[in-house]
Amino acid sequence: MQKNVLLELKSEKVLTNLKDSVRTDGRKLDEYRKISIEKGIYQNAEGSAKVTLGDTEVIAGVKLLPGKPYPDSPNEGTISVGTELIPLASPFFESGPPSTDSIELSRVVDRGIRESKAVDFKKLCITEGELVFIGFVDIYAINFDGNLFDASAIAAIAALDQAKIPKIEDEKTVKDEFSGKLKLERKPILSTFAKIGNFLVLDPDLLEETAMQARFSVATTEDNFVSAFQKGLPGSIKKEDVDSAIDTAFKAAKEIRKMM
Amino acid sequence: MKKIVVPGELITEQRKKMGEHVYSFNGKIYSDVIGITDNESAFASVVPLKGCYIPKYGDIVIGLVVTELFSGFLVDIGSFSLCFMSKEGIREPLKRGSVVSVRVSKVNELNEADLSEPRVFYGGEIYSISPVKVPRIIGKNGSMLEVLRRGTNTNFIVGRNGRVWAKGGNIQLLFKAIKKIEEESHLPNLTNKMSEFLLKEKK
Amino acid sequence: MTKEEKKVYVNKKGLRLDGRKIDELRPLTIKAGVLKNAKGSCYLTWGQNKVLVSVQGPREVLPKHHSDPLKAIVKFNYRMAAFSVPDRKNPKPGRRDIEISKVCGEALEKAIMLEKFPNTQIEVWAQVLDSNAGSRVAVLTAASVALADAGIPMKDLVTAVAVGRAGGKIILDLNKEEEDAPDAVDMPIALMTSAKEIVLLQMDGLFSKTEWDEAYELAAKALEQIKEKQVQALKEQFLQESMETETKEKIKAEVQ
Repeated sequence: MQKNVLLELKSEKVLTNLKDSVRTDGRKLDEYRKISIEKGIYQNAEGSAKVTLGDTEVIAGVKLLPGKPYPDSPNEGTISVGTELIPLASPFFESGPPSTDSIELSRVVDRGIRESKAVDFKKLCITEGELVFIGFVDIYAINFDGNLFDASAIAAIAALDQAKIPKIEDEKTVKDEFSGKLKLERKPILSTFAKIGNFLVLDPDLLEETAMQARFSVATTEDNFVSAFQKGLPGSIKKEDVDSAIDTAFKAAKEIRKMM
Repeated sequence: MKKIVVPGELITEQRKKMGEHVYSFNGKIYSDVIGITDNESAFASVVPLKGCYIPKYGDIVIGLVVTELFSGFLVDIGSFSLCFMSKEGIREPLKRGSVVSVRVSKVNELNEADLSEPRVFYGGEIYSISPVKVPRIIGKNGSMLEVLRRGTNTNFIVGRNGRVWAKGGNIQLLFKAIKKIEEESHLPNLTNKMSEFLLKEKK
Repeated sequence: MTKEEKKVYVNKKGLRLDGRKIDELRPLTIKAGVLKNAKGSCYLTWGQNKVLVSVQGPREVLPKHHSDPLKAIVKFNYRMAAFSVPDRKNPKPGRRDIEISKVCGEALEKAIMLEKFPNTQIEVWAQVLDSNAGSRVAVLTAASVALADAGIPMKDLVTAVAVGRAGGKIILDLNKEEEDAPDAVDMPIALMTSAKEIVLLQMDGLFSKTEWDEAYELAAKALEQIKEKQVQALKEQFLQESMETETKEKIKAEVQ
């Protein structure tokens, strides 16, 4: 990401304001910005969702394509998550092959979904040992104002949930015909925090992300399990931060799941 | 009467004097941007509703120091590239992030500007608006500036590059008011409307 | 007989497979100023096509050796989302993406007053989110609106449409089924309509010169309709309740 002096200058105020328990937009330290989820917008995608988290906006689309299973899991399909951080979303994004930021983002979102067994991969099996469905989840940042992690994870789950499963004939998909919908076993929600000074704030906006020394994300499930941890950036966090994050995440995730 | 025009839209077929943001083709005059034109004016001209900052000699702008060089500084004024400011005559210590108001002392054919006569500002806050709205924030003979000053008691300066630096008084109200002017810049009677708005918000 | 041979692309009543007349466009909606972080932006839906275009700049050219000391350069980036096509598309830009980016960028260069911004680059980022034939003309039409929305000076808007042939008839705005006809011809064309200058023209298929004439006339008429929608999308942003009645009525009249 390119640096921007004006942003840096404004982010200096973030820590001073936190000492007075104030965030730029008046939120509490453990509060999400306004979230909206819109599903099924794009017809060529088997599942799609547009998510806004404050001014951050992302789009996710799912394509279910038949492919060969891995030799060690002949009766299981799988998912593959990719994200694109294109300059369309922010003057700070550079064009070119996926950046390290974009790859880390893809892998964290993937982990949250995969490890929580949100998708029962056995349900993606078409013919054991020969043909399975691979769920490609492609996420595009549309407007960047901080916390692409949570917005992307919500979009991915919303797009996968109830995705149309293509009908298969002779090992190929039949155009515009479907054999059912993908039902998720769990809905993992990713919650990301910014460590700024000694404070841990949920759902950092662009200014708070510019000010943060470390980033911490945790994915939680409705049955109170944690399915992913990711500490990012060169700063450090303490155990208390992780404890507090998990508690906040369980609570906040419940509210988000109600919206889905 | 005023109306909104878009690029390529006909302004007039009359032989008028050409002002800003218009071009002539086959004896007719057209707009080159989205903006407002007044067909009762003697000039064929368009005031843009959207646009970027192009440095002009003599402009006062608000800049941010980005890097120190051997002979000067590189300053971000929100234009196409960073601008050079010579160290000559600068007594105050400047570093990355220093906020300055500067004068555009030279512009070459590549729109690269040299800056001089910096005044350093400490503290305060910066708000950015589209540079094409700056004339509306200033108003005829500074009338809008007066309304804003009286209505918020803030000490502020508006750069031609669309950056506003403010300190003291009700800064949040000032920024709210400026945002309103930006959004309604194409509507009439704005100065009076803003006076009323600020009076109401103060309560 | 194969399925394709049985299709009647234009029936005796002059109706196409999806019920449209020969000179009828698919539903088209245009909205300007939709992205907060972009200098200018546009969201356009055309039939099933859904495209989002964002403009950044004019700003510094990178890499520096691409810059032109006399004018701005235009970097047009046409990209299709992986899920925007029936079979998933590899996100990495392919040769088709690069060619479309090139011809679309060149189409806009004629319209933009590039000399006003020497040594800079104007970036257009076009993301196709859903598609069904005609994504490049959708993208170009939207890009024009996004550039105007960014306040970048232009001689005129660029308006694009695709015409062609299917089932022996010259038709407007082909959908995917029509593009797959055995005698299909696909011709995307874009004009700066006021001066009737063609800034984009491509063609796939076998055409006679008479058919080209017919296709051009069909396109020219449609471009007037599409241009009106571009203009409406731009002016719409400034219609407000508090406007003086006279001015408001005038704009409403223009927009209709």
